[in-house]
Amino acid sequence: MSTSTVAIEKKKRGLFAGDNLFGYLMMTPAISVLLIFFAYPIFYEVSSSLTNKSVGQDGKWIGFANYAFLLKDPTFLKACLNTVIYVSITQMGKFILGLSVALLLQQKLRGRGLIRSLVLIPYAMPGFVAYLVWKLIYNPDVGALNIFLHQIGVLDQPISFVSDRTWAMPAVLLATIWKGFPFWTIMFLAALQSVPKELYEAAAVDGANAWHRFRHISIPGIRPIILVVFLLSTVNTINSFEAVWLLTGGGPADATLILPIFAYRSLSAFQIGQAAAAALILVPPVLIFVFFILRKMKKD
Amino acid sequence: MIKEKKSFVITKYSFVAVILVFVVFPLYYMITMSFRTQSSLYSKLSYLPVDIQSKNYIRAFHSTQFLRGLTNSLLIGVVTTLVALVFSIMAAYSLTILRYRGRDTLGRLMVIAFLTPGALLFIPLAALASTFHLSNSIKGLMAIYLSFTVPLGTYLLIGFFKNLVGELEEAARIDGATRLQALWFILLPLIAPGLVSVGILTFTAAWNELLYSLVINVSPEVRTLPVAILNLQAADETPLGLIMAYSSLAAIPVMFLYFFGQRFIVEGLQTGAVKG
Repeated sequence: MSTSTVAIEKKKRGLFAGDNLFGYLMMTPAISVLLIFFAYPIFYEVSSSLTNKSVGQDGKWIGFANYAFLLKDPTFLKACLNTVIYVSITQMGKFILGLSVALLLQQKLRGRGLIRSLVLIPYAMPGFVAYLVWKLIYNPDVGALNIFLHQIGVLDQPISFVSDRTWAMPAVLLATIWKGFPFWTIMFLAALQSVPKELYEAAAVDGANAWHRFRHISIPGIRPIILVVFLLSTVNTINSFEAVWLLTGGGPADATLILPIFAYRSLSAFQIGQAAAAALILVPPVLIFVFFILRKMKKD
Repeated sequence: MIKEKKSFVITKYSFVAVILVFVVFPLYYMITMSFRTQSSLYSKLSYLPVDIQSKNYIRAFHSTQFLRGLTNSLLIGVVTTLVALVFSIMAAYSLTILRYRGRDTLGRLMVIAFLTPGALLFIPLAALASTFHLSNSIKGLMAIYLSFTVPLGTYLLIGFFKNLVGELEEAARIDGATRLQALWFILLPLIAPGLVSVGILTFTAAWNELLYSLVINVSPEVRTLPVAILNLQAADETPLGLIMAYSSLAAIPVMFLYFFGQRFIVEGLQTGAVKG
């Protein structure tokens, strides 16, 4: 063991020394993908955000005018606010529901294996299908939710959940949480199982109650996973276009307009420069967030 | 063992029941509504299976739109998955087993790419596709889907490679195997669960993708299944049962894939999350 480690640790220099050439060769396909579909697009996006480019017109350099325009545009500011609301509430919902279901599935239950598989349904269902189904559930004329609420006597008049200013956002939030929480449950469950059982038993002997065992054994045990899941799921949610697009299209009256939809609309209006600027405004907050979480993870 | 109180057991099972209804209802509802006609949906208001018949499915299988979408999505999914698997195996292998200068920087770049929101890139990618005459083509989507499947696959496989004992590969090479032989005959069989999990996750990522195919593939011949389904929505009267039939056909095969590969997927996500 020690000799081989020393051999590996020896510094290798030059293209043909050691693994250098082979290592780069094996990376070539992945790096090419990144250069073509990642580095170049980002470069293109940054540069076009500084022009008044539109479809069919190369546009002129206009500096930061697109950004300045966006920061004064009330629709854009509304989209920013909605994005913050959408991401923070769905993430909180997924965390609470995901963790409670994981704790529930850890209990002694009849048919636990089957229940676990069923909880995976929202995760396994394709997003575009899931949100079309939810749209039908919310349908004012024939949807299940209106029929059910009428049956139990809560509603006299049907509500069109996705085109009602008050209800559109909650409707989108509920569907997004439904789709997203099982991922958290799976990850938490696996993490909880890796916490040694002896710790719980020892704590129980010492007289710790359920809450204390949860707070001081379970939570520290799954903390690294919580951070990773939080990171992956939040980036995914900021990214999420289809939930809102399929349910409300950003409406009614921009009540559910979030940034990806705003950028998509600008692109549909052929304003490439402005759409690029709108998409790029997502970058700094995401970077700060990623950096923050990665630093927390390093500390663990 | 701690004996559980009766009230605790009751609370536990009622909570289970509520969660199960919440989780299963949309699936049940999709399937039930897919067997009902438009007129029945409006005349008999119910979420129960009334007036069941298979007209919507017959219509789906006679629709060129649907069949084209299905073929396109399958083709794109399979090709993207295979290419992404090969590229990610190579990259993850290089980033974990091999030792060379700049390796960690390259590794960090892959993680950043993995974490970058795709909603950020659809504008330049659409422009890129049209520059290279790849918009409105199946090839274009296959290529663009690599932009998120390769980082995903690499990220997950790095975890699996890191789990392997480093000496294994060296032992094989001392026995006279080349690096590629060692990778193919020794390492890959050992990370087979990882390959299955990456395969399933990549395929479904491509199969479920909506934004890029909405922006880039507009012509009817190259539409993917999600876009074909969205095009059923019409301003005057949307055929709700038919949409649910299309959706069921799009969703159920993928969901079976998830349930059969459940063990591998969970392992893949866990390994990737912890080790990556």
